[in-house]
Amino acid sequence: MKLLKSLFAASLLLLSGLAAAADDAGAKTVVEKLHESLLGAMQAGSKAGFKGREEMLAPVITSSFDFDSICRIVTGRHWKAASDEQKARFIEVFKKLSVATYASNFSSFSGEKFQTEGSEADHDALIVRTTLRPTEGEPVPLNYLLRQTNGQWLIMNVVAQGVSDLSLKRADYTAVIKSEGFDSLIKRLEKKVADMSQGS
Amino acid sequence: MTEFSVLSRLLAATAVLLAVTGCASNDAAKNGGDPYENMNRKFYTFNDTLDKHFVEPVAKKYAQYTPDPVRNGITNFFDNTGYLNTIANDLLQGKFTQTASDSGRFLVNSTIGVGGLFDPATSMGLKQHNEDLGQTFGKWGAKEGAYLMLPLMGPSSFRDIGSPVMDMFLNPLTYFASVVTIPAGVVSAVNTRANLLDATRIRDQAALDPYTFVREAWRQQREYDIYDGNPPGDGYEDYIEGQGDAAVLRVY
Repeated sequence: MKLLKSLFAASLLLLSGLAAAADDAGAKTVVEKLHESLLGAMQAGSKAGFKGREEMLAPVITSSFDFDSICRIVTGRHWKAASDEQKARFIEVFKKLSVATYASNFSSFSGEKFQTEGSEADHDALIVRTTLRPTEGEPVPLNYLLRQTNGQWLIMNVVAQGVSDLSLKRADYTAVIKSEGFDSLIKRLEKKVADMSQGS
Repeated sequence: MTEFSVLSRLLAATAVLLAVTGCASNDAAKNGGDPYENMNRKFYTFNDTLDKHFVEPVAKKYAQYTPDPVRNGITNFFDNTGYLNTIANDLLQGKFTQTASDSGRFLVNSTIGVGGLFDPATSMGLKQHNEDLGQTFGKWGAKEGAYLMLPLMGPSSFRDIGSPVMDMFLNPLTYFASVVTIPAGVVSAVNTRANLLDATRIRDQAALDPYTFVREAWRQQREYDIYDGNPPGDGYEDYIEGQGDAAVLRVY
């Protein structure tokens, strides 16, 4: 019985792996669309201003990331204890923060290129490997982890040169929740967003 | 001193050392690998205050007024004087091909590269590598041990604390008179800090608790360096069992 069960589990895994492999074009498209819009924002630069770049990026970013899962993961075990209202507010501010962070960091263009290097299936997830290539100097490896939700590939994590965005945020945010509470985390993120919006 | 007393002193010293390292390795697991967090946070605040008031402003001015080619030259120069340490650690890690190419790199840049100011080796296919004693220990299986925030020097750990010492002994600049080493040390520090301005800008922009942010970023960066950019993924089993989300936290 146990053998049957594990055989069944194994075949499921294999099938989902195969499905993922067949569909990696979809995942690559999500990442490449994000990169295209980042390049657009970089080229628009200071002419568009922070607000302009934010408007350009918001629709692409909000539809490319799996914010429900990301928000659950970065708050760790404190997610379950949070109220529905806290969760909703956190997801909202986190979306804004993501857009604002991209808008403030991708603000000028000097010939950079994004290049998709390849992809590989990892269980039911897919890793898309890319590099950001400046005109001079070392390329920066950017790896994306995507998972399928309702048939749509969504980005779960970005790892830049070995540093995982999700685990960095989880360490940072859970430290704040532990010492100051969930509401304080939300307030401080709201302040971050407000501070970034002051930029140009 | 009799032979016996030398022996007994040695034994006593070994016992103390074992006790200390024993404590350290037991402690290391506590508080998520950061058993000395209270002390570390004090040093972090100290370093950060010093940085914000003195070092960062100087580095910003330096970056503003130094033309890029000059900055690149200075970075190349100090990278090159520190390269014997990389070569020694290549060897200690058993990376023999890399030992050869890094030795070639050091020779080329020290000669054709005018004492290391230029980097002709890279365009000759002799890529720069980044190795140090902590990575060597890591490569042979040493765990990080307790995380340490060192005054003036920044993040480290029990595994990595020997790195700057070895680096210093293998840096030719160490053996010059202090009229050379002190100014060289200052320029090197300011130049290094200037090269980190982007990284600290990102920290200041993103971090809520900069101490935790720096610790996590440093740990991941070290793991990445130890495995030369290909660390093993871990925790996926947990994830597929629905126990946690460890797997999605690390994709390499």
